[in-house]
Amino acid sequence: MSAEALLTELRSRLPAECLLTQREQIAPFECDALPVYCSRPLAVVLAQSEAHVVAVATACHRHQVPLVTRGAGTGLSAGAKPIEAGVLLVTAAMNRILELDRDAMTARVEPGAVNLQVSRAAAPLGLYYAPDPSSQIACSIGGNVAENAGGVHCLKYGVTVQNVVALRVVTAEGQVVLLGSQCLSQPGYDLLALLHGSEGCLGIITEVTVKLTPLPEDTRTLMADFSCVRAASDAVSAIVRAGVIPAALEMMDALAISATEAFCHAGYALDAAAILIIDLDGDPREVEAELLLVEEVLGRSGATRVQLAADDVQRALWWKGRKSAFPAIGRLSPDYYCIDGTVPRHRIGDVLEAIQSFAVNYDLRVANVFHAGDGNLHPIIMFDGREPDVLERVERLAADILEYCIAVGGSITGEHGVGLEKINQMAVQFSDAEIAQFMAIKEALDPQRLLNPDKQIPELARCQEYRALRRSHE
Amino acid sequence: MSEFCAEHDRSTRLQAQVQEALAGAQPLGIVGSGSRASLGLVPAGASLSVADHRGVIDYQPDELVIRARAGTRLIELEHLLASHGQRFAADIPVPTAESTLGGAIACGWDGPARSLGVSLRDTVLGCRLVNGRGEIVNFGGQVMKNVAGYDLSRLQAGALGTLGVILDVSLRLAPLPEKQVTRAFAVRREELEDWWPRCRELRPLLSASCWRDGQLYLRLSGRAGALDQVLPSMGGDDIAFDWKALRDLRSDFFGATGLACLFLPPRTPMAIQEGETLLDWEGARIWVRGGNHPELQRAVQDAGGFLRVLRGEAVPPVVAAPDWHRRLKQAFDPRGIFNPAIFSDQFGGGGEH
Ligand SMILES: Cc1cc2nc3c(=O)[nH]c(=O)nc-3n(C[C@H](O)[C@H](O)[C@H](O)COP(=O)(O)OP(=O)(O)OC[C@H]3O[C@@H](n4cnc5c(N)ncnc54)[C@H](O)[C@@H]3O)c2cc1C
Repeated sequence: MSAEALLTELRSRLPAECLLTQREQIAPFECDALPVYCSRPLAVVLAQSEAHVVAVATACHRHQVPLVTRGAGTGLSAGAKPIEAGVLLVTAAMNRILELDRDAMTARVEPGAVNLQVSRAAAPLGLYYAPDPSSQIACSIGGNVAENAGGVHCLKYGVTVQNVVALRVVTAEGQVVLLGSQCLSQPGYDLLALLHGSEGCLGIITEVTVKLTPLPEDTRTLMADFSCVRAASDAVSAIVRAGVIPAALEMMDALAISATEAFCHAGYALDAAAILIIDLDGDPREVEAELLLVEEVLGRSGATRVQLAADDVQRALWWKGRKSAFPAIGRLSPDYYCIDGTVPRHRIGDVLEAIQSFAVNYDLRVANVFHAGDGNLHPIIMFDGREPDVLERVERLAADILEYCIAVGGSITGEHGVGLEKINQMAVQFSDAEIAQFMAIKEALDPQRLLNPDKQIPELARCQEYRALRRSHE
Repeated sequence: MSEFCAEHDRSTRLQAQVQEALAGAQPLGIVGSGSRASLGLVPAGASLSVADHRGVIDYQPDELVIRARAGTRLIELEHLLASHGQRFAADIPVPTAESTLGGAIACGWDGPARSLGVSLRDTVLGCRLVNGRGEIVNFGGQVMKNVAGYDLSRLQAGALGTLGVILDVSLRLAPLPEKQVTRAFAVRREELEDWWPRCRELRPLLSASCWRDGQLYLRLSGRAGALDQVLPSMGGDDIAFDWKALRDLRSDFFGATGLACLFLPPRTPMAIQEGETLLDWEGARIWVRGGNHPELQRAVQDAGGFLRVLRGEAVPPVVAAPDWHRRLKQAFDPRGIFNPAIFSDQFGGGGEH
């Protein structure tokens, strides 16, 4: 490969303002929202169209230069971290909403369109885009597809993959492929699903057609306080067992409650060990019936207090607290690190207890605020980066938690992706044969391994090393 | 659970059969019960039967997930789930009492409730299979959300057994509705376009639709309290419509020697000259018996959809990115031993989309 030849080709194919090579221009793109991993690429391209994406992919392919794609850079697993000898292609500026189709209930958008912007555009049609990551004011739809992002309301409405009907994708060779359509079924392999959660490693997404959902006629929000975390966890399973699938079912523990309350005065009970926030939505008569059922289950499960939001103002306030929990915790602690594991619902109580006992081992504090309904934990490790050995302790605590998730039948990531961050834990969740199968898929669609090559799927040698290292810690 | 489902773990034997086939460079035709053979979805000369690899591995109603072996009878699973007030989240066809779970996943078909609910693909959470290197590999799991590595379990749904021998699958479940009612309305074919917007107003209670012979059938499902309030003003006649016969393609309509299915974008008007039609998915799927298949394919492609022929004159299938299909086939099955004829018939040919 030759960096100079590549840059010359890019200069000839792209408008000058799209190509950044100066150190100070590149600096803002050195990391995503997990800044412990950062590096400076050869060049940053701010693509304005699919033609630009094709030009970059073709040039990188010709010169055998690695290519990392970045959306809005809100990723939490260093998936968009550049490679030093490579190009960083940013799709954030391709942010137009191309078409809203009321009859088909779809929106065709460019990959840089911001998640919330799509729902805002669809609102006049009585529709919205259901997956709502907490980062929805900033993250891009392309990044959502690449991570298969989830959100608070995914329990009932599904994650990104269940809400996308078609994609345009530029391959590692610079070809455009169309996957999916408006039809409710597709011939052939489910390539559309394969691209979801592929973390920029199989193709570059240049257009997304999302499914829109009718705005619910009625939404009611309940908040339940518990005096012990175990009872709150068990209530989550009990609600589902009672045959109710709430639109959202979120949990916060005492540390998260106190941080959030201090930050935005949402009205949470400061003496509760845990709270559940529950949305029920849909047909008003169904909501009414389910409200009674859920209240009854909460009472039976030992809730010390159950409140129904009086109006939309109170609803919004409760949710504002939940959605600002991360920055709120950020105020209590100089640094924090959010992890993302999933476990079977009935093991939530066990896992939360285990997390607290692991945290004691490393002399660290952990707050929990998470998507309880789908068993997706977000333990937030609080620390002070100025302490000498603290990063290593944080990393080992995170590894213990993720490996415990695997041990109870869960996964090392439910929505944030593997990226660089969890690449070691892949070796714990998967066997060599499984890792080799992933690698075969990667090589099938990107034979030269140019697209985000250092992310998501570890080399087999690295897996063996990591497993040996973990054994030596036991 | 043994009360509902027979238990046999044949993973080791199935793996050994794949390894033998690899050693002898022998292609394998994979079959469950063969109940979908009359729809052209089972390889001729099947040589690897998964039918006795059966039983439920894990089912905890709180989790809304079931994990079962590929040879488990769908009917047994449905009974087990119903005894806990649950069902598959997708509307999975059960062509006969012998039909297996593995066959349903491999075919990836959806019943009439798909348009208002989720597809079978959307409910596959995990899958264990023997790949074309003779290894047992496991992807996904029993949890609702999982983005570790590529989603190779959903890829098995609709792959017709061309990527590996499915050993077991984990599927998402849903609660059974409290109440379900079907109403019939006299509606002419040309009036349907006006009915689909009315159907939208019945969401989220509407759970399936079907039109045939001048009758539109609408099924509502949900809380009894809600249905009881909607039904009096809804009109139409109460009727005991057999949605399962429609889902399982057992209705007399599907017995024809020429049977094809058109998949269309929502609200696409489509005039069909030849043959008899049945519509579901609010008109986004049209079944045609005795139609002219090449002509139908041309029309449906112009409208942005595609055609599947179940019986009668075959048409070349059109898949998106055929090159990617070949490369993925190679990545799972480098020696090309799994259902090779099905791969070339269903996924190999055709031009670019
Ligand atoms: C405060 C906060 C809260 C969050 N809450 C949630 C949450 O609730 N749920 C959740 O799922 N996530 C959450 N996230 C994580 C993050 O917002 C999501 O992963 C999001 O989907 C990333 O989108 P992005 O546009 O920022 O992508 P980036 O960070 O830019 O990139 C993420 C990955 O996608 C790839 N990528 C980006 N664009 C493309 C493209 N056009 N084509 C191909 N690949 C591409 C990149 O290569 C990278 O691997 C949160 C993050 C923050 C900071």
